[in-house]
Amino acid sequence: METTLLEIKNLNISFNVSKNIVNTVDNFSLTLKEKETIGIVGESGSGKTISMLGLTRLLPKQAFVDKGSILFKGRDISNISNKEFYQKISGKKISMIFQEPMTALNPVYTIGRQLISTYLFHNDVSRNSAYNRAIEFLDKVQLTNVKERMAQYPHQLSGGQRQRVMIAMALINSPELLIADEPTTALDVTVQKEIVGLIQKLIENLGMAMIFISHDLGLVSKTCEDIIVMEKGLILESGKAKDVLTRPKENYTKNLLKCLWSLDVDHKKINEYRTLLLDVKDISKSYQLPGSILKPKKVINAVRNVSFEIFKGETLAIVGESGSGKSTVAKIINGLTKMDSGDVLLEGKKIDSYSPLERALRIQPVFQDPYSTLNPNHTIGFIVRRPLLLNTSLSYDEIETKVAKTLDLVGLSKNFINRFPSQLSGGQRQRVAIARAIILEPKILICDEPTSSLDVTIQSQILDLLNELKARLKITIVLISHNISVVKFLSDRVLVMNNGEILESGNTLNIINKPKNNYTKKLMSAIFTVKKKV
Amino acid sequence: MLKFVAGRFLVSLAVAFTISFVTFFFLNIFTDPAQAVAGEEALFEEIEQIRTQYGFDRPILTRYFEWLGGIFTGDFGVSYYWNKPVGTLLLERAPQTIKLALMSVSVTIMVAIPLGIFAALNPNSIIDRFALSVAVSAQAIPNFWLGLILIIIFSVTFQIFPVSGDKTYYHFILPSIVLGTSSVPPVMRLMRTGLLDVINSDYIRTARSIGFSGWRLVTKHALRNAVLPVISVVAVQLGHKFGGSLITESVFAINGLGRLALLSILGADIPTVQILIFVFAITFIVFNLLSDILNAYLDPRLRL
Repeated sequence: METTLLEIKNLNISFNVSKNIVNTVDNFSLTLKEKETIGIVGESGSGKTISMLGLTRLLPKQAFVDKGSILFKGRDISNISNKEFYQKISGKKISMIFQEPMTALNPVYTIGRQLISTYLFHNDVSRNSAYNRAIEFLDKVQLTNVKERMAQYPHQLSGGQRQRVMIAMALINSPELLIADEPTTALDVTVQKEIVGLIQKLIENLGMAMIFISHDLGLVSKTCEDIIVMEKGLILESGKAKDVLTRPKENYTKNLLKCLWSLDVDHKKINEYRTLLLDVKDISKSYQLPGSILKPKKVINAVRNVSFEIFKGETLAIVGESGSGKSTVAKIINGLTKMDSGDVLLEGKKIDSYSPLERALRIQPVFQDPYSTLNPNHTIGFIVRRPLLLNTSLSYDEIETKVAKTLDLVGLSKNFINRFPSQLSGGQRQRVAIARAIILEPKILICDEPTSSLDVTIQSQILDLLNELKARLKITIVLISHNISVVKFLSDRVLVMNNGEILESGNTLNIINKPKNNYTKKLMSAIFTVKKKV
Repeated sequence: MLKFVAGRFLVSLAVAFTISFVTFFFLNIFTDPAQAVAGEEALFEEIEQIRTQYGFDRPILTRYFEWLGGIFTGDFGVSYYWNKPVGTLLLERAPQTIKLALMSVSVTIMVAIPLGIFAALNPNSIIDRFALSVAVSAQAIPNFWLGLILIIIFSVTFQIFPVSGDKTYYHFILPSIVLGTSSVPPVMRLMRTGLLDVINSDYIRTARSIGFSGWRLVTKHALRNAVLPVISVVAVQLGHKFGGSLITESVFAINGLGRLALLSILGADIPTVQILIFVFAITFIVFNLLSDILNAYLDPRLRL
């Protein structure tokens, strides 16, 4: 018989915002049996993380639990003193893994010291046996050279390795419940899959229950038995993962699913593009890390002898993980970085022979983070209008007409002209960034991870917009992404990059369905998709 | 770590040489050493005689290397104004300044660090406000005023401490309070903001999720990170104090390096002034080097 491990009833969490009480989580309830896994899905601001921080008493200072009861193994732990909670529950019975492995470990202490102190905090044992326990758990999370690792500092490890250490730290006291808050979001795709697999294996072996928080419905459906869908602090629906996926009750859930499906639709007929627009020939770029008196300079080869062509009207995706050199290639085409060797020919002419203004008329970028790429001191109208002022000699009326037309094209009304970026949502900002880029009617649009910092539902809107613009303006797009679903949805051709080299290139569907290179295979198998049920 | 220390040491050495070079050149080009020795009312012939007698007519580079060589062999030159070897002068004056510097920095640390920690742990509380007002007042009050007020209260009215002089450690208590107070604001503020930043960081959240709380959380997980910037500032303050405080030493009649520097400048005593500038620079460099090494010891990311 399975016993109930955790029962949260009507949890309410509020924020004290300059003396106004704002309710952020409303009537959150959850029942979790021993060894069960449950996933909480929602977009940013849905309250999924805050509700769990309420459970573990890690809420930010302005936030507090309004009301509600938390029964852990039949005992109400919402009323016990902080002292008792910290000594008996947190880290011992309930552990957490956080999203950012880069910052979640203390940079000034060794891995070993952090693991040992975690174990000694809750267990009255000798330092020696704590050391052995730490070694045992580093082994469990499949790190190599564990003895050396113990003496290393967090900055000496990669993101994936740090997250493994974080997992070891969360599990070292054998808790009964593990809360994983977006544990893989900050990691590279191929590493993501390994980490998720590792967490699943470990909780099964150690017999723990898990609450898995994520914005990725596909990932959660693969990891958890039950799913809770949240929006704006409310639980919209909950149930068995397969029920929620196949028979979603709420519109919001259907929407989330549609976003996954829409990226999964059969690819339209591949068009044949013939006119050569951009010819990249054998380009290389290396960076030098500064040395010191006693240390030689270190050279990083970001791009190594890369060649490819871009034809008029097509969408070419450059795929790879962080450090693969894909963004450097984009910067070179964009003129933001100089290449060391090789040539880039735009319409048959060397790209360096264009003046910056001439190049800007032909190539325009859209960047990843719409929160930091728009100048907060300028109005939307100013931001969108500026390329015209710099590059053309149109009259005031012509400019205003064009700004309005372009804003309309990206789905924003004229009312936005006098607003500031801070008054816009992430999706709206990205539309502004796109409007700014297309107002000069460039030949090539370089989109560097255009949707990675947006919520799922917003992502699909932006992708639809790009697709529409592609058809209407016949614009050529270079898409830089690590997200295979996005690539599949938007692009005609794919280049796969790793360590500064092109591993494989070809038709999108061929690459995704029949990858030849081992690395590409790994990359493709790392995506979690939800198949549309017929 | 050894490589790091060696590297920093070489850089410091280069800086020290540059400073010695620049000081020597500026002092010997923009002033006339012969005129300075001869005095203001000396005749042209007298000045010229001194010039050849003291060797000021030789090329400046020769004199520089002679001077530098002298420093390495312990010969700091002779003061025309005090009629003593500069080395002897330094040995007479330095102990007072070192005592004052160490004691005043101890005062700073004892006041500023606890205040900063408490302020950071209770932001916007009464303690925090109190700490802030202490910082603002300490910054606004001039040293000579605070010195005189302390003398009036503790030496004249209650007669607990001596009015002035530098014979015993007892004499140094009031001046240390005066000098130490002026360094409280920067150290306290840095301690407060540093700790506040650390406390809101992800790794402190991790430590809290393990169960660490209260004082143990601060000492075991936060303090080492927060104290890094404080060390650099304390080192700079210590450097300042070792240069001697002109005002505080004058108010309390302490015969330290500060007063020596003042009188030597007024007396146009070039040999003493250039050695003092060099010594002050070297103490700054040494403290910076020590703080860099301590920082690197505490924070592995700095050991590059």
